[in-house]
Amino acid sequence: MTTYVLRRLMLMLPVAFLVTIGVFMLIHLSPGDPALILLGEDRTPQAIAQIHEQLGLDKPLYVQYFIWLGRIAHGDWGRSVTTHEPVAQAITERLPATLELGIVALVWSLLVAIPLGTIAAVRRGSLTDQVATGITVAGVSIPNFFIGIVLIFVLSVTLRLFPFGGYVPLTTDPWESLRHVLLPAIALGTAGAAINMRFTRSSMIEVLNHDYIRTARAKGASWRRVVFVHALKNALIPVVTIVGLQIGGIIEGAVVTETVFTWPGVGRLAVESIFNRDYTVIQGIVLLAAFSYMVANLLVDLVYGWLDPRISYA
Amino acid sequence: MRRVAVGLFWLFLLSACGGGGGGGGQAGGTPQKGGTATIALESELRTLDPLDSSLLVEREVFYNMYDSLFTIDPSLKIKAGLVKSWDISDPQNYKFTLQDGVKFHDGTPFNGASVKANIERFKTAANSRRKSDLASVKSVEVTDDTHVIFHLAKPDATLLATLVDRAGMMLSMDAVAKGGQNFSLAPTGAGSGPFEFVEWKRNDHLTLKKNPSYWKSGVPYLDGVTYRAIPDVNAILSALKTGDIDIARVIGSKDVASIKADSNFVYRDTPAIGFNGFELNTGAPPFNDAAKRKAVATAVDRYAILKNIQFNIGVVGYGPIPPSSWAFDASEKIYDHADAAKAKSIATGFSFTYKTTSDPVAQQLAQLLQSELAAAGITMKIQSEEFATLVQECEAHQFEACGVNWSGRIDPDGNTYAWWHTGGSFNDSQYSNSQVDAWLEDARVNSDQAKRRQDYQNAQKQIVADAPYVFTFFGVSPQISNTKIHAFTLYPDLMIRMAEVWKG
Repeated sequence: MTTYVLRRLMLMLPVAFLVTIGVFMLIHLSPGDPALILLGEDRTPQAIAQIHEQLGLDKPLYVQYFIWLGRIAHGDWGRSVTTHEPVAQAITERLPATLELGIVALVWSLLVAIPLGTIAAVRRGSLTDQVATGITVAGVSIPNFFIGIVLIFVLSVTLRLFPFGGYVPLTTDPWESLRHVLLPAIALGTAGAAINMRFTRSSMIEVLNHDYIRTARAKGASWRRVVFVHALKNALIPVVTIVGLQIGGIIEGAVVTETVFTWPGVGRLAVESIFNRDYTVIQGIVLLAAFSYMVANLLVDLVYGWLDPRISYA
Repeated sequence: MRRVAVGLFWLFLLSACGGGGGGGGQAGGTPQKGGTATIALESELRTLDPLDSSLLVEREVFYNMYDSLFTIDPSLKIKAGLVKSWDISDPQNYKFTLQDGVKFHDGTPFNGASVKANIERFKTAANSRRKSDLASVKSVEVTDDTHVIFHLAKPDATLLATLVDRAGMMLSMDAVAKGGQNFSLAPTGAGSGPFEFVEWKRNDHLTLKKNPSYWKSGVPYLDGVTYRAIPDVNAILSALKTGDIDIARVIGSKDVASIKADSNFVYRDTPAIGFNGFELNTGAPPFNDAAKRKAVATAVDRYAILKNIQFNIGVVGYGPIPPSSWAFDASEKIYDHADAAKAKSIATGFSFTYKTTSDPVAQQLAQLLQSELAAAGITMKIQSEEFATLVQECEAHQFEACGVNWSGRIDPDGNTYAWWHTGGSFNDSQYSNSQVDAWLEDARVNSDQAKRRQDYQNAQKQIVADAPYVFTFFGVSPQISNTKIHAFTLYPDLMIRMAEVWKG
């Protein structure tokens, strides 16, 4: 098990390396000069040249890449081109907000998905199932920014039940924090809820047809016990896969939602950095996102072993 | 959802505001002390140090945290700031008398040495964006604690106006040293203004608290000011309606009428100092042909733009000098109402590409221009680009027409020299006219305002006639707030100055 985990961790390095090359090329080859964005209405030819020199943009691209890589290898993520804030600090400052949003969104999606998915599977073909399927299609089809705008308009602007945007840290005021996070979390988690419900339903249908379920029923176990104790755990294996990917995708998933709700997280930092051509910050965020995907994948594989003892990584 | 805002882009946002009313203070009872006001910023700041600032939203915060050597009144007249009185009779040696007894927020005194240290820092620091602002200043001599002399390398009639803005903002050098590399993120104790820095949680909020020992007696009234970065005009409007913010500077111009009609809100405005329009590249076909530039300028319907894009908020623009400026020329109307027939007689049957951003308002404007020009037989193709790309291509002269606006400067020099002097840093159009160069140069060094006015009016007439830039309208500097906000003074430079504002 330990060897397996170590091997997987080692494999992350070359993948991360390839990701950094891809990202570096993409952002540097796209048009737009950070010096012009930085200087805005204060640009002069001298100031532009000075910034190019300070940022090393006057060097060939491959040299710039290896300078950056060398720093990363030494644990130095560099400083933001626009704010001069250390990149690691810029990301870690915003990470709690993104994690809070991502986790609440995930909890929301699971609270909706698992009960509804299970009920839909158990009552397959019924009106409940059809309604649940309808909700799923809507949840996946409606973009989260639109859900966000509707939630803001109805619950925040019209009914004044929730504050508009902003973030209160959980440690400062848990109740206010929850009030602020709820709308963005619903907007962010709805698509995930729909997908998870779909997976729960189909997986549950399959599991309910297995022999052991029939045996359990034959032995006199109640339908409720069969579904929730015997079937659900096994039905959740494919759901875990998809949830794992959703956890890995919290950072990029939150990009749009954070912008709509002015949520001070990593997603909004990413958007701002891209428009400002803040190369160092973009690279830092992408590296973090790549790692979080890989770690989430690893965790998913480990959770498989817990859910299904037949799967072993020894 | 894209909302990048560097100074230039501001004007795209500005085009989402509108104009009409007058300036001046808003009366409303006896000032009450206490309370905090929350203000929406339409983009996130990048720095809190005037040294490397380049955003309009940064200046807005600075004016409430830092004091400048000079200030302006709502009619853009230069007024005393940290400089109490001044003698500029010798055009190369400006003598300033400083306010006495002013202290920075960290308790250190403001004096002649502070002025010298600040100006030297702005002039020499590697990441300073103030170098060109202070290019004419050779050195600062400290006579005593309350007297300094600015020795100039050449006469500079624009210097006092320059010292109103970031180049004239005075910081505590102790605070700068203490802040070290992170000073621009947390300038604790650095200012001497009405409000002190408390904290900046980037992408969320910036908090200032009242400076209890502000040197101007009786103000500020508010206990503090909070800024929230909300990078979308529709979201700003929502936040205003929900009461999450008290003041906004920008909302969509389509929403101004509803805010005006709502008794819970206040909307007033005054014409701003930035110009709007688009550049024509005189260095490449088709606009290396002056006739084609003039044809476009003649065919553009400025009134239709103001009505349909701006919802009549703002005023029609004929040149770079705004109506609020002392150099404004009301008779400058070479291209007033659109005249398709006249445009056709000058030049027709050609086509060009207009580059602009994908911002919805910029797109609507482009489509309107396209239809106006079509009436004169001119084909305009629209090319939408992301803002950073647009700026880079226009700066590199890779365009035929480019929709770029200007936020404006207090002195007319700031609205002209960099744009139309040969080789100017914003002369994307590659315009060059030796007579215009001479007028602009003379206006820079001449201390006689009447002569300067003549220079600017001559230069403007020529620039407008040659049409390297098609001017369309001036936006507005508005008050957009709830009714709890009082004594809000409108300044044409778009800055929201909070020292005298109170909440009740």
